[in-house]
Amino acid sequence: MPDIVLKTANAGMVWGIAIAIIAIVLAQALLYARLAFRTAETIGFPKEKCMLGFRSGAISAIGPSIAVFIVMVGMMSVVGGPITWLRLSIIGAAPTELTAATVGAEALGVKFGSPQYDLMALASSWWTMAVNGTGWLLVTALFTHKLEDLREKVGGGDVKWLAILSSAAILGCFGFLNSRTIIAGVKALSSGSTQASGPFYATIGGLVSMMLLVKLGQKIPALREYNLGLAMLIGMATAVILA
Amino acid sequence: MSTVNHEEFERIWKGPAIRIGVVTVVVPMLMCFLPNVYLYVVHGVFPPWGVAFKAWGMIAAIFGAFYIVEPISYYPILGLTGTYISFLSGNIGNLRVPCSAVAQEVVGVEPGTPEAEIVSTLGITGSVITNLFFTTLAAIAGATLLSMLPVSIANAFKNYTVAAIFGAMFGQFTLKYPQLGLVGLGIPVALALGAPALGLPFLAQTWVLIVASVFGTILVGRIFYKAHII
Repeated sequence: MPDIVLKTANAGMVWGIAIAIIAIVLAQALLYARLAFRTAETIGFPKEKCMLGFRSGAISAIGPSIAVFIVMVGMMSVVGGPITWLRLSIIGAAPTELTAATVGAEALGVKFGSPQYDLMALASSWWTMAVNGTGWLLVTALFTHKLEDLREKVGGGDVKWLAILSSAAILGCFGFLNSRTIIAGVKALSSGSTQASGPFYATIGGLVSMMLLVKLGQKIPALREYNLGLAMLIGMATAVILA
Repeated sequence: MSTVNHEEFERIWKGPAIRIGVVTVVVPMLMCFLPNVYLYVVHGVFPPWGVAFKAWGMIAAIFGAFYIVEPISYYPILGLTGTYISFLSGNIGNLRVPCSAVAQEVVGVEPGTPEAEIVSTLGITGSVITNLFFTTLAAIAGATLLSMLPVSIANAFKNYTVAAIFGAMFGQFTLKYPQLGLVGLGIPVALALGAPALGLPFLAQTWVLIVASVFGTILVGRIFYKAHII
């Protein structure tokens, strides 16, 4: 990538735009937190429980955020600091954004990151990342409230069924997210190989340790806030040891 | 537990939640084009519209189905505020859903109640604060800090955290509804392996797998609930 391109990608103005957008992401979180605290007060839900929920979310996010941090440093060296910061602070994880950046360059017939990758290619990459993110954001802005109406209709105010509904959705979602790793792992092991790939062991380690931690948390409630972080570390350790 | 009725909660929660959500999603969405405006104004560079639309078409061909499938499929999990927050700030499977679930588990609220909605929202907003702290740290001093971390540890985080968290979430909820755990994993595995073998490879596409897994498991949950199995 020519120097002028990297220099433009790291211009002060681009940092300024990134700061402005990230400030809105922060503002959104603070507005919703305030709404949650106020609503809790109105319906008589204790403030301490609200704080506990907020803190649990903040603590549980540490582990996955470290992973995002590491991936982000890698991406910064490829597409520049401010755009990486901006893109990874909103919808679209690193692989999605890098795909869009590559497609943008390819539409011009330029190879991403090559010496031919000029300012025009940079503009095309940025455009493609922005227009791709717009897809999710537009659908969210237009249809989220309709989905709430639908959920109310399907839920019908039956609390027990609503609990099953959301748990079933989570199990379907994470069943899907785990399925590829598990299929690959089982295939590797059944083909006579003595070991499967790291992610397979990480998945199994995370799964089994979380089950034990939830059981343990019923006896030691103080532990529960750290469940996700601990399960993640145990899963990672399992992968490092066995893979 | 609630001292307010359904209509009252709608008024104090749903209305403001939608207003905040729409504004804070649409404004950044438009601002994401500002870097391009900057390139055009300062350097006079923007791809010809033919190229711009071609790039749009190419990327929509890859991700277009997910624009629609993901907000719908994640909705029963994230709820109203959770959807606005998660689709603005991303990292849904690895961060937002787990943080919402852990917060609800720790506080001990009944899923589907106003209290659960409040605690889930707070768990997710807490995760946004932490996440922004780390991305900002990476933007400011990422390369320096990363060079201080042993390579083996950095690699373990990079390669294994997502898989471990996906496994952990599956474990937490399988404990609650073991039968649905089997269904949730069984549907995507059966489709991914079975559909190509039956000469129906289009049923093994990613977006089909997501929809079939989420809504298939909800449907089986409904049947089990009606049959008093769970």
